[in-house]
Amino acid sequence: MKKFNIKRYLLVASAFMLAYMLSAQNIYDLRLNEVLPVNVENYEDDFGIRNGWFEVFNSSYGTVDIGGCYLTNDINIPTKYRIPKGDILTSIKPRQHVLFWADNKPTHGTFYVNFKLDETNFIALFSTDGKTLIDSISFPKNIAADISYGRLTDGNGKWAILERTTPSSTNVVVEGETANQRLLTNDPSGAIMAVTAMSVVFAALALLFIFFKLIGRSAIYMSNKRAQRAAEKQDKYNKPSISASASVRESGEICAAITMAMHEYLKDEHDIESTILTIQRVKRTYSPWSSKIYVLKETPHKK
Amino acid sequence: MSESWAFLTENLGEFFKYTGFANATPGHIAMICIGLIFITLAIVKDWEPMLLVPIGFGMLIGNIPFFSGMQVGIYEEGSVLNILYSGVRYGWYPPLIFLGIGAMTDFSSLISNPKLLLIGAAAQLGIFGAYTFALYLGFSPSEAGSIGIIGGADGPTAIFLSSRLAPDLMGAIAVSAYSYMALVPLIQPPIMRLFTTKKERVIKMKPPRAVSHTEKVLFPIVGFLLTCFIVPSGLPLLGMLFFGNLLKESGVTRRLAETARGPMVDIVTILIGVTVGASTQASTFLTAKSLLIFAIGAGSFIIATSAGVLFVKFMNLFMKEGNKINPLIGNSGVSAVPDSARVSQTVGQQYDPSNHLLMHAMGPNVAGVIGSAVAAGILLGFLS
Repeated sequence: MKKFNIKRYLLVASAFMLAYMLSAQNIYDLRLNEVLPVNVENYEDDFGIRNGWFEVFNSSYGTVDIGGCYLTNDINIPTKYRIPKGDILTSIKPRQHVLFWADNKPTHGTFYVNFKLDETNFIALFSTDGKTLIDSISFPKNIAADISYGRLTDGNGKWAILERTTPSSTNVVVEGETANQRLLTNDPSGAIMAVTAMSVVFAALALLFIFFKLIGRSAIYMSNKRAQRAAEKQDKYNKPSISASASVRESGEICAAITMAMHEYLKDEHDIESTILTIQRVKRTYSPWSSKIYVLKETPHKK
Repeated sequence: MSESWAFLTENLGEFFKYTGFANATPGHIAMICIGLIFITLAIVKDWEPMLLVPIGFGMLIGNIPFFSGMQVGIYEEGSVLNILYSGVRYGWYPPLIFLGIGAMTDFSSLISNPKLLLIGAAAQLGIFGAYTFALYLGFSPSEAGSIGIIGGADGPTAIFLSSRLAPDLMGAIAVSAYSYMALVPLIQPPIMRLFTTKKERVIKMKPPRAVSHTEKVLFPIVGFLLTCFIVPSGLPLLGMLFFGNLLKESGVTRRLAETARGPMVDIVTILIGVTVGASTQASTFLTAKSLLIFAIGAGSFIIATSAGVLFVKFMNLFMKEGNKINPLIGNSGVSAVPDSARVSQTVGQQYDPSNHLLMHAMGPNVAGVIGSAVAAGILLGFLS
């Protein structure tokens, strides 16, 4: 194998790693998910006051800390409200929601922002740098009181007036639908599931195949090189040697058979069992509990 | 005297009401007969004795009729059997068995010829073929997934998945999986012959190359990282499998590896066998569903074997003469280690006694173990 190939494979492997790292789950997986601009008879906040609220959803499968990000109702002032860092409640678990109250009273706590929703009918979530927009939504002005506007599917669905408000919970309001029922509805024959799952199994084992194909080639390359070096060394001293290619061509089985044959020949051993009959009892008093081999290490000494 | 006699007979009568004779139902007797058949098959025919003896005797234990409330039954909270059964119910026996399997498996043949991994992937079609068939027959997706895993031909995986997705069907699924694993020498050869030509059956494969120690050590580490990053839900099985293999291959944890593949796996095999057997009670086992599970299980083995053999033929289309794979090792893609690899060897030798396929068949065989654990992880992720 040429040296060039190793470099190429390393490059491909690095590209894979990089692609993977880039797709790591982080604050860019956060999504504005539901908003209730006018709250007359809807839920009360922790102080017993009704205010507009909006919900942020963690669409990833890892915990994401929203602390340090910015919320605003004005695109020109992206850093209007900085979500405090260090509050354990700002860590949003995978596929979970967090609720913010838009009461313009940030002194009430982490989840109370310094603006109201009916001022601009707009909300945006900015990254911790205060510049990168993560998500934003302009909601209609004429939304009736106590009616929420949200995504039809959590995280990535189309925005619409929701049948009912669902603060801090999923917007999918089909009663009691389990994973099983959803699968039965969307994939009654099981074909989609079968194709998806087989693809994943193949992908997992194909990755292993590629990796060990490369490792195998490298191992052969290295062993060729070692054998070549040994042959060159032998040539240097004008001693007859086995050629490098011949030494690696033989399989492990053949090598084992040759070694065994040589061992038997040199030690004068054979595979015929002793035919001596005995009534002597074989005694084994050894026990690993009393063995010093297992409990003591070799005494260190200077070489 | 007569009063004493009356008291004695009354007591004896009461005692009789407590005995199994008074409480036995046809269901109990039928299950005891099935248990006895399992024990007979194991002892007389030598079919998977390590599994069928504990399962068969477990069936006897689980189907002794008794009054509930004495804290002796397997489903009675706090009973000895119930405590032992927790390893099955919460799914911690199967990963321990996988630890032992990892510590006793040599992945050298797979490392020396890694394309054999793909055969292990193809044979998992049995799982998903059975899944679609079970859905068609009216099982729920969770039940269908648990039944489908029978096609993985891996008892611990079947127990692990069904304990999570369909605990009610676990007994029937486990018994079905182990029964068909025992029947691999009967089920697979006709399918292998059906899909191969005489010329293909005598293909001689290149002897595997010697694998270095570094490659052997790398395999469990890389294998674990790659598969678990793709399917984290397979973590308990894959983690333990590869950890066990690292204990074996590292060369510095010989005692741990010996314990994992020896006494530990034996203890867990006894416990899993006897408790799975004891959990199969007439009311849940002798149903039409169980019959369907057995039928689908047979179908899944047939699909898995066919898929493995046909996939090898497909791979051969792209391979140069001299590098071709003997399709008779395709059946080994189903786990059933090492029985299915032995079947490859036996059938191969019928056509060319000098052709030794066992070493080559072990590649797809152990790939099948990884593949079925990955498949179980996917099903768990989708259906739980």
